Amino acid sequence: MASVSQTLRPPLVAGDKRPAEVTRDICAALDRRPGAGWWAMFLPAFALLLLGVTAVTYEIATGIGTWGLNRTVGWAFDITNFVFWIGIGHAGTLISAILFLLRQRWRTSVNRSAEAMTIFAVLCAGMFPVIHLGRPWFAYWMLPYPNARGSLWINFRSPLVWDFFAILTYFTISLVFWYVGLIPDLATIRDRTKPGLRRRVLEILSLGWDGSYRTWQRYETVYKLLAGLATPLVISVHTIVSWDFATAVIPGWHTTIFPPYFVAGAIFSGMAMVLTLMTVARKAMGLEDYITVAHIDKMAKVTLATSLMVGLSYLTEFFTAFYSGNQYEEFVFLNRALGPFAWGYWIMLACNVGIPQLFWFRKVRWNPFLVFIVSVFVNIGMWFERFVIIVTSLHRDFLPSSWAGYAPTSIELATLAGSFGLFFTCFLLFCRFVPVIAISEVKGVLSVGRSRQPAGRRPLRSGGATEEASVLG
Amino acid sequence: MAQDGQIRYWKCLEERNGDAAWLAASRDEFPEPPLVRRPARREFLQAAGFVFGGALFAGCSRAPVEKLIPLPEQPEELVPGRATWYASTCDACPAGCGLLVKTRDGRPIKLEGNPEHPVSRGGLCAVGQASLLGLYDSLRFEQPLLEGRAATWEEVDRAIGEKLDAIQRNGGAVRFLTGTVHSPTVLASIQAFLGRFPDARHVVWDPLSSAAIPDAHQRTHGVRRLPRFFFDKAAVIVSLDADFLGAWISPVEHTAAYQAGRRMEQPGAEPSFHVQFESRLSLTGTKADRRVVVRPQELGAVAARLAALIAERAGAKFDAGEAPPPVSGELLSELADRLWAHRGRSLVVSGSQEIEVQKLCNLINQLLGNYGRTLDIVRPSWQRQGSDAELQTLLEEMEEGRVAALFIAGLNPVYELPASARVRERLEKAPLVVSFAERPDETTKLAHFVCPDHHFLESWGDREPVAGVLSLIQPVIRPLASTRALVESLAVWMGEPRSAYEIVRQHWRTRFYSGPDDEAAFREFWERSLSRGFVELETRRLEPPGRFDAGQVRAPKAAPQAPAGEFTLVLYPKVALREGRHAYNPWLQELPDPITKVAWDNYASLSPATAERLGLAEGDVVRIQTSDGGGAAVEVPVFVQPGQHDGVVAVALGYGSVLTERFAGIGPQWIEARPDTGGDGRVGVNAAPLLTFAGGTVRYDRAGVRLEPTGRRYELASTQMHHTITVPERLAPPGGERRPMIQETSLARHMDDLRAGRLWEEQERTDLWPPDHPFTGHRWAMVVDLSACTGCSACVVACQVENNIPVVGKDEVRRKREMHWIRIDRYYAEDGGQLRVAHQPMLCQQCEHAPCETVCPVLATVHSEEGLNQQIYNRCVGTRYCANNCPYKVRRFNWFEYSHDDRLANLTLNPDVTVRSRGVMEKCTFCVQRIHEAKIEAKRRGEAPADGAIQPACQQSCPAGAIVFGDLNDPESRVARLWRSPRRYQVLEEINVRPSVTYLKLVRRDIEKEERSPAHG
Repeated sequence: MASVSQTLRPPLVAGDKRPAEVTRDICAALDRRPGAGWWAMFLPAFALLLLGVTAVTYEIATGIGTWGLNRTVGWAFDITNFVFWIGIGHAGTLISAILFLLRQRWRTSVNRSAEAMTIFAVLCAGMFPVIHLGRPWFAYWMLPYPNARGSLWINFRSPLVWDFFAILTYFTISLVFWYVGLIPDLATIRDRTKPGLRRRVLEILSLGWDGSYRTWQRYETVYKLLAGLATPLVISVHTIVSWDFATAVIPGWHTTIFPPYFVAGAIFSGMAMVLTLMTVARKAMGLEDYITVAHIDKMAKVTLATSLMVGLSYLTEFFTAFYSGNQYEEFVFLNRALGPFAWGYWIMLACNVGIPQLFWFRKVRWNPFLVFIVSVFVNIGMWFERFVIIVTSLHRDFLPSSWAGYAPTSIELATLAGSFGLFFTCFLLFCRFVPVIAISEVKGVLSVGRSRQPAGRRPLRSGGATEEASVLG
Repeated sequence: MAQDGQIRYWKCLEERNGDAAWLAASRDEFPEPPLVRRPARREFLQAAGFVFGGALFAGCSRAPVEKLIPLPEQPEELVPGRATWYASTCDACPAGCGLLVKTRDGRPIKLEGNPEHPVSRGGLCAVGQASLLGLYDSLRFEQPLLEGRAATWEEVDRAIGEKLDAIQRNGGAVRFLTGTVHSPTVLASIQAFLGRFPDARHVVWDPLSSAAIPDAHQRTHGVRRLPRFFFDKAAVIVSLDADFLGAWISPVEHTAAYQAGRRMEQPGAEPSFHVQFESRLSLTGTKADRRVVVRPQELGAVAARLAALIAERAGAKFDAGEAPPPVSGELLSELADRLWAHRGRSLVVSGSQEIEVQKLCNLINQLLGNYGRTLDIVRPSWQRQGSDAELQTLLEEMEEGRVAALFIAGLNPVYELPASARVRERLEKAPLVVSFAERPDETTKLAHFVCPDHHFLESWGDREPVAGVLSLIQPVIRPLASTRALVESLAVWMGEPRSAYEIVRQHWRTRFYSGPDDEAAFREFWERSLSRGFVELETRRLEPPGRFDAGQVRAPKAAPQAPAGEFTLVLYPKVALREGRHAYNPWLQELPDPITKVAWDNYASLSPATAERLGLAEGDVVRIQTSDGGGAAVEVPVFVQPGQHDGVVAVALGYGSVLTERFAGIGPQWIEARPDTGGDGRVGVNAAPLLTFAGGTVRYDRAGVRLEPTGRRYELASTQMHHTITVPERLAPPGGERRPMIQETSLARHMDDLRAGRLWEEQERTDLWPPDHPFTGHRWAMVVDLSACTGCSACVVACQVENNIPVVGKDEVRRKREMHWIRIDRYYAEDGGQLRVAHQPMLCQQCEHAPCETVCPVLATVHSEEGLNQQIYNRCVGTRYCANNCPYKVRRFNWFEYSHDDRLANLTLNPDVTVRSRGVMEKCTFCVQRIHEAKIEAKRRGEAPADGAIQPACQQSCPAGAIVFGDLNDPESRVARLWRSPRRYQVLEEINVRPSVTYLKLVRRDIEKEERSPAHG
């Protein structure tokens, strides 16, 4: 007996849960009134959001001049924030789609919240290309729609147009994917809800889910298809975002390494953000049995791997610049490391390449608190990576006569804070109204049947955990 | 039925049958009941009440009255939408450049140089360009002032008349203080006016005084005259601290002549050789072939040694004294050889206010036989006539309270004179002070009467900037306010009121017209002169200069070495602000200094070594303390300036006047906006109190000042990052220390190229794609000659006026958000101890493979069929991607809605150019409005636009002729010929954006290399 159990993989969910307990545990947050802890996080987040709304309103009313940009540095915080949030949004799809296709079953505990994070991050990101326009009220001009303005059309050669489509597609797919995955759980909540408006809404949202074999079969098919559709997007979105820079002529931007470099960086930052959120959420919501240290360990490994990729990209950039013999390229990289924004560069290097090396140690990976700390540093580092790429390339380009500096204004800082406010407000609301863990999927990876002892702990009925989802309340 | 042959028609059986009821009904006008019930009286009143009430209510909001061009009787020459040009003369400074004034719908909108004018030859400097805004200045006096309150002309005339009568009776002293006046009519009026008083004198003084030159000629040649300099005729030019390309006597004239003498596109051309001795880096110094840094006090020793060396070669005797020259004897003797070899074709000028130095220059020019050839005192210049000695006499008279009436025109002595002159107290002693100033300044506050003069675009007048060139001023708009010409005021006070037109015309008829004495013939002469803007004739017989009196010239005593910690203060005029008369002008305030690139402030320039020694960095505020206990001191921020003498601290004049108090809120106002003016509400600091009187002249340098750090810091508004010599050494990649945006060639190599007929060779370029733009019609292109460009920045202001470019204020310039479409990049290089400076006008390069065009998501910037990179403002959404991707960083973004609140100032707006709104990108268009105007005109005449018919504003204003624009597809056009010049290069050619602007390499002449070359000498 013992020899048999030893060949089994360690359980993905701790605590030897029965399916009913899973439902109860995960829905607990939805059932009870929000506690002081939730309010303590929600109110500051909401305050930040309001601050951001104020700043953006002021900026749109007064002009982009309220940002610290100048004739030389035309983008800074705006596009940095945009790329940062898009990058954060990468982990969701990676976990839900790619790991699904690769049958990494540990993903079940984190995919729901990672996908939610993706949607909120893309929401935050999508705000910036609009508000950074000189005339945001004409943002719809970027759409190729038939119009009465003669033959006016958009410029399909512009990476910004590609961007527009890439992000819109990514957002749509992420939202649909998230929603489809949510349907069985919505049905579960529906069944637990007393008749009333809430139940009515849930009935509509769960699309008449009845837990039958046929429903499950179609659900699985759709989910797999969507996963297949979403997978290329993981690569494409950040590739296209990187083209905003790579197709330009500016030294430091004009480089072919950007697509893989950006994708690796995006996964890196996304994983770090998932870790940041999950290490807190599992504690705050009492989900330690579902999001176990083993999960954190796995994500930390992915983070470490992508950190190395990012580090390699940094090195490659330097080497390419040196090897090109192009004095402008060489200068940009020397200027990054030694120029006026060198502090940004070294923060980036320390946070993205230095600190994540701690993940080589199992002790660190298995300590959620340390993982949290490291992941926060990675988030900081990845924000600085985009800042370094954008600002240090622009501020000293070809003609020294046009060189300039850059310093953010209070409005820009408030806008950045506001984007975090939006993100956390959305995420905290999500924790309140939607099961943060995919109930139906977790039930599929329970340890049910793994051991016969003790008999009393066996499930009440035999049968697949998934089938019970809508039956057990 | 058919009785009496008539057929009767009927329409219904009832009619046929004669139904009685039907017949009765048919007589009714409305056989059927009316659709609308006839209203009762009350209902009618209700309805009427509603209608009237509604109409009354609707009428409460008054619709704005908008007039189109309300000209029922259209003047003959005025066609709406087409510009009318008038020839006139610029009055922004006494240089007297010829103008063509462009008016649209009756308002002047642009000043351009008159290409035929013998003084300026077509260029117009930044100050002249900007003086247009003075016309539309809403803070100008709108009516005369009497004891500080607004009054009518009648009141003022009566009051002044009474006072003058009393002075006439009592025999009180009347003094008329003006800047240089070379208007024959005004001079005659002043003389006539003063002639009515027993003790009257016209005192002329220039705030930027060159009095030492005429004073020296008085002594050496017996006539007090400023020579006219011909820099084009000089093969060797030696300048002892004369900034003749910058802000010296007549910069446009001198720049045009200087560059005419340095043309190098012909194989046999021999460009002039220019040596500059100076203490601070002046614009002229940046163009010199050899620049020598000396203290102002050492100029005398240099001049004396040079005079001795020339005398030696001329076989004359001159004792240079014992003062050791601060430069190597080798250099001076080489220079003397060169001067001697070019006898009669050389010129030595000095900007020094030391009469001794000027006399030495006269001696040198005399020995070289330059008089009558490269400088002329027989037909002299009238551009500076001020006498500092006379001013001092006047000040003494005022001190003693002997002046009964003081008239002040064109000057602001309270501001412009040194503290030691105590003008304020002295003015208070005068019982009658009358100012003719156009706008409130320090002096008008103390004047009893202010009789505001017209702006020169509103008035009739004449000028004689150099002997024999009479230039006319004609009004191009009716006076905007109740102002009155100076000559009219004088005429009224003399009791014979006449209009300025009559006065000028009468003066011309009696004095200058020599034809048959009938009105028709004179009118022809008058109108011909008026339409050309000038006439060349002998106006007065001048007494010939006397024999040169060499005995007057003495070698100066050796300048004492400055004690440690003491500096020589040099006060200098900037290209834009000059003496400060135009300090009200935001275009000039925002124009970056061509060398320091700082706008909106003055500062204390220190050499890098001195700054390091004193532990001062740029922006540290220092107190400049004079040691002689006068108490005059100023506090200004430090600016570290390469190429300056280590013992010199230089501060610009013209700042800190009350004229600048208007700029308090000129920039966009937002949450983090910082004030555009200093703590005292003004721009910069007035350094004029530090001027001194010495040796009979006002001195702009002063020994023995100390610098005391105040510990405060101040951020200067610079458009170019400081010390960007190229790339900071620490960050320079190997071999990349010098970026190739400035390319140079030596004169010898260039001449070899020309002799061999070498042309610029188009490199074989293979392209994967067919060309995007075939350019079958015109292809507009521009060539900029870096050797010709002096950096004077006239083009920057011309572009600003032409293209409605907003002024953004000091804070926005600090934030690097200036809006100029053309800028002059300044680069330094150090080569064997010689500082080299390059000026590079940088504007949109109209690239064929424009990086901006591909990245715009909404196609707001596209290429035209004629090679223009067009910006479509109303399509732009403002992503700023184009600006990021521009390798030349010439695109400008509207960060805010820039103020167009001053409705009077808005009259300068060019109706052919869109005023851009917030959030859109803008940039140089190659003056596309001018291209279209010329094309339409050519099409109307059925021919192709002639080469040179289209001149962008920058090219038109350039006194040096450094910018050439034209059609590259016309192989005979000037631009196409220069395009093939061996000197041609393109900035950042390696990134293959294929600009339509090309540059001609800077030709450097190395004095050592030339010595070895046998081709010269």
